[in-house]
Amino acid sequence: MRTLKNCWNSWRRLFGDPIRAFGITSVLLLIALAIAPAKDHFSEWRHYQHGYLKLIQSRRDAPVLERHFQAGIHQIWLPKLGVVDRCETCHVGLTETSLGDVRMEPYSRHPAIPHSMQQFGCVVCHRGQGAATTVAAAHDSTLAPNEPILPARYDEAACGQCHHADLEGTPTLNQGRELLARYGCVRCHTIKLPDGSAMQPTDAPPPLTHIADKTTREWIYAWLKDPASYAASATMPNFLLSDQEARDISAFLMANSVPKPGDTASLKATSATNADPAAGASLYGESFCASCHAMQNAAGNLVGGDLGPELTAVGTKVKPEWLTAWLRDPRNYDAGTAMPHYRFTDAQLGLLSGFLESKTNSDLLANVHLDPATPEQIAHGKQLVEVYGCAACHAIRGVPKPDNYGPDLSRVGSKPLAQLVFTAGMPRTLPTYLSNKIEHPRIFGPGLHMPQFTFTPAQVDALTTALLSLTDRSYTLPAKMQIAAVGQSSYTPAGKAGELMTDLNCMACHRINGHGGDMAPDLSWEGSAVQRQWLDAFLKNPNTLRPALIRRMPRFNLTDQERTELTNYIMTVYQNPKIDRDAMPQSGYSAEMVEHGRQLFYGKYACQSCHIVDPVQDRGYIGPTLTDVGSRLNAEWIYLWLKNPQQLRPGTIEPNRGMSDDDARALTAFLTMQKGAGSRKSGAGVASLRTSGTKGVGQ
Amino acid sequence: MQSRISTNLERLRASRLWNSIFRSGSGTSTLHRSMAIQQNVFLHILPTKVRRRMLNFDATWYLGTLTLGTFLVLVITGILLMFYYHPSVPQAYFDMKDLRYVVSSGLFLRNLHRWSAHAMVLLAFAHLFRVFYRGAYRPPREFNWVVGIILLLVTLLLSYTGYLLPWDQLAFWAITVGSNISSAVPFVGQKIHFLLLGGNLVNANALLRFYVLHCVILPLAAVMLIAVHFWRIRKDGGLYVQQSEPVAQCAEETAGPATTEETAEEVMAKP
Amino acid sequence: MSDYVAGVSSDAKKSPKRVVFVTRRTSAHVRSQDEEQVQTYPEALFRAALAVQVLVIALVLMSLFFNAPLEGIANPTVTPNPAKAPWYFLGLQEMLHYFPPVVAGVMIPGLLVVALVVIPYFNINIRPDGVFLKDRRRNLTIFYIIAGGLSLFLWFFDVYVALAPTLAVAGFLLIAAYSAPQSTSRFRRYLVSRPVSWWIMTWFLLELTVLTVVGTFFRGPGWSWVLPWRS
Repeated sequence: MRTLKNCWNSWRRLFGDPIRAFGITSVLLLIALAIAPAKDHFSEWRHYQHGYLKLIQSRRDAPVLERHFQAGIHQIWLPKLGVVDRCETCHVGLTETSLGDVRMEPYSRHPAIPHSMQQFGCVVCHRGQGAATTVAAAHDSTLAPNEPILPARYDEAACGQCHHADLEGTPTLNQGRELLARYGCVRCHTIKLPDGSAMQPTDAPPPLTHIADKTTREWIYAWLKDPASYAASATMPNFLLSDQEARDISAFLMANSVPKPGDTASLKATSATNADPAAGASLYGESFCASCHAMQNAAGNLVGGDLGPELTAVGTKVKPEWLTAWLRDPRNYDAGTAMPHYRFTDAQLGLLSGFLESKTNSDLLANVHLDPATPEQIAHGKQLVEVYGCAACHAIRGVPKPDNYGPDLSRVGSKPLAQLVFTAGMPRTLPTYLSNKIEHPRIFGPGLHMPQFTFTPAQVDALTTALLSLTDRSYTLPAKMQIAAVGQSSYTPAGKAGELMTDLNCMACHRINGHGGDMAPDLSWEGSAVQRQWLDAFLKNPNTLRPALIRRMPRFNLTDQERTELTNYIMTVYQNPKIDRDAMPQSGYSAEMVEHGRQLFYGKYACQSCHIVDPVQDRGYIGPTLTDVGSRLNAEWIYLWLKNPQQLRPGTIEPNRGMSDDDARALTAFLTMQKGAGSRKSGAGVASLRTSGTKGVGQ
Repeated sequence: MQSRISTNLERLRASRLWNSIFRSGSGTSTLHRSMAIQQNVFLHILPTKVRRRMLNFDATWYLGTLTLGTFLVLVITGILLMFYYHPSVPQAYFDMKDLRYVVSSGLFLRNLHRWSAHAMVLLAFAHLFRVFYRGAYRPPREFNWVVGIILLLVTLLLSYTGYLLPWDQLAFWAITVGSNISSAVPFVGQKIHFLLLGGNLVNANALLRFYVLHCVILPLAAVMLIAVHFWRIRKDGGLYVQQSEPVAQCAEETAGPATTEETAEEVMAKP
Repeated sequence: MSDYVAGVSSDAKKSPKRVVFVTRRTSAHVRSQDEEQVQTYPEALFRAALAVQVLVIALVLMSLFFNAPLEGIANPTVTPNPAKAPWYFLGLQEMLHYFPPVVAGVMIPGLLVVALVVIPYFNINIRPDGVFLKDRRRNLTIFYIIAGGLSLFLWFFDVYVALAPTLAVAGFLLIAAYSAPQSTSRFRRYLVSRPVSWWIMTWFLLELTVLTVVGTFFRGPGWSWVLPWRS
């Protein structure tokens, strides 16, 4: 109180002699005004530039670095990209190649990247606030349109903003995109790309219209409760249903199912009962079912492909009559299935279905006891099916496919934090939200319907990366910077052969004219590449060209007529118009030319490191075996392939060696001599070697 | 030291140059000091003499003076800020960022402008209430009170139009909320709203419109009204002296009982 | 009201001064004389400059240590919750929460401005005597009607934020009504002597302050109540 009074008194005194007081406050005002420039002078970025000078002082390359250094604020200004990046003001040594050994931030060098920093700036990839010149504002700002710096493990998301096609250097991003398509994420969530196309799913959820023909209500119940308990590799997620919900949904699905003629088949009693497990297993192997279907082996490891469902306990799931009918003609039950139509005999059908029926899991249904369904349960089940959006993936009679069941994710990578709900204690950043949402979709509150997937941490990171690449910036960047995703064309083969190819589902594995799978070689120019006799023989009894692969072309038991039809079609239609099949002779090369070719093969070009010509001595397993290449491939194709493999098959790993015409001709001569008569050993012995690199490998 | 400064100062004031600018000349006589006010275009709107009592801080709290002070600060900082500002979308926002991060003392300049603006609104309100409670609105000062109210509205409009200029979320939504009120005016609400924003939404047109209002029209209006306001102080008899506060029932002045219907009356007379 | 004479034309040659003070039962006597005057320059000018400088120093110091807010770039598609007007309009925005825009946004501010403008032109605002000292019964009736009506109106529309200051002012008015001018309490004597314009302005000031403070600090998402220290 007393001090207050003193203050008051001095205040009044101040006004008693205003001129003197004015003088004093003028000085004070000047001092106060001088603080602002002083504060400016001691700014953060000056501090960091000072630190940089101190750092390079003691280095050997100091004179060069000092010459490069310019004091002041630096910026990259790219109006077309909306970039004003002042990062280089503090990150002074980003482009100094000689600073590779510096680990201290902010002075380390930027790793080598395919783009120039001057053309792209920093925030286009790393996010953050480029305009800022203080550490906190540059890195942690959440003010629109700025975002905090992207954590390094999601860096590949930056590439995905322009590169909508897969890149070699971005395995995480590629995997994430593949998972988005494969796990049906895009069936509930729309993901539109800047070019207007939408991401397409690659999974094949079966229709449930005739489900009662196929399986039992008990199995549906167990599957709904936990798909992973039936098959560890199930892509169906867990909807975390209560017992009652699973009971009612299964009741509805069974009641809603209509039987379809031809979905059940009974075989002659003899063939079914006399099924020999060993014979069935070998037929399973010979038909190369494992190319697409996986099965758990005795050691508990999954062996086989993932194109079709896992068959470890298929006996517990499907009804024997249905299984037989399915194996006889899968298209009757599901017109859109990827399963080829094998031409099995009744005896083979018996063997195979017997073998598959023996694959059971007795624990699965042990505790499932369901009372007959009541109409209320069925009605409730239908409600639940609508609530959980089952029809977004599965065709269900009477339940329309919901449009945009889940939120649109086309720009989820720029979602404002204000629109997100975080749980207590969760760091408020977009990557954290996304990865948590993928890992534990239901922790964000009641009433959420997104199911629980079983992803590994690496898969979660990959998915988060792929989602983070879907940014607003992606839409605002100039169109010429966008590299479109390689989409599927709508090609379908025509005519009778076309029908046959559809029936055999060739395109599930082979790509033709931009349509089809990538498990097996592209057949667009097969007619220019191979010789007719070889193709005919191959279709009759396909043997492997790549002993290192477990995936094989199955034998479809084609009739002679079917085979001829297919061969004719391929040889006539799948021709590259630029290739003249007769430009190089198929034989009749001089011995010295062949010998020269041999020397080039083993010497100059060392082809044997990847290919096998002499099965005794060569050990190259990367590329296809060439023991019979002379009877398989057309000479002109070989020649052109040697000259420039990427031109014939973009993306093949076969290196372009820049061969001279003479070298290529000599090598062609040598290779056409490899007729491989009698050396056709089945590759079964080496089939245990498994590689995953099947994409785009040359024949 | 001090004497040397004052000697030099005196010499300066006696010089021909000084005398050609300040006609009042040197000297400390009442005449000279009156001339200093009268002969100056800016100061002549003030009275040459003030009652000593009114110079005490607690007489006026200097609220009017301080409001003028904030206005001057706002004019100076505002002109400096105009050098760095483009009234266009979205450049306006990026100019804020540039002020913040690259312009020397730009952040300080913007802070000073912003805080002074808030201070001016606050001081203008305080001035209003202070004048009211002192009774200084009474005749003959009615019109100056009205001018004061208009000045308060101009101050609010100045602050409000300036609010949009940074073009951030705060600005955009504050103006959206505020301008939506205008569409509630019966019959012509939508038209007023459109006129105010130059469109149906807050957009680049609204920004330009607010910029012109904020930097040209409203400051000019304010300057003129302030001049009138000060002029009227002088013409209405100087700062209001608190001598006619309600005193009717002060016990020591009236002997009669409380129920008498006495009123205090004042007669203002001019000689 | 012809008993009041105010006469100074704006072309007065000299400052007006009070010469007589007349009450009904006393004869005229001089209450005030010519006051001591000083020159505007330098006495007043330097004091004014001094006051301004002190304020500027305060503003400069504040600007050095507190940054003006700058949020993300304007985005018409992302509405902040709540979207607030500048602080001096938050009183109005608070009223908008209770009344339709045409009332809270047009009528209230319009009437307010008109009311402020006309203050000096109505004699009731110039009369300096306490509310209940003259025409006590009539004024009390008017007070009860206005205060009761206003309170009921605010209560009916659930405008408790505006009701509280109204009740507080009404309470003090009641104290004034039932206090004697000779009361021993200085505070009561003070209240008794307040004229009606004082009461109205005080009510307005209180409402303005309470509504603005509530709108600024105590309103959160969806204009719901929040406590500023708990966020």
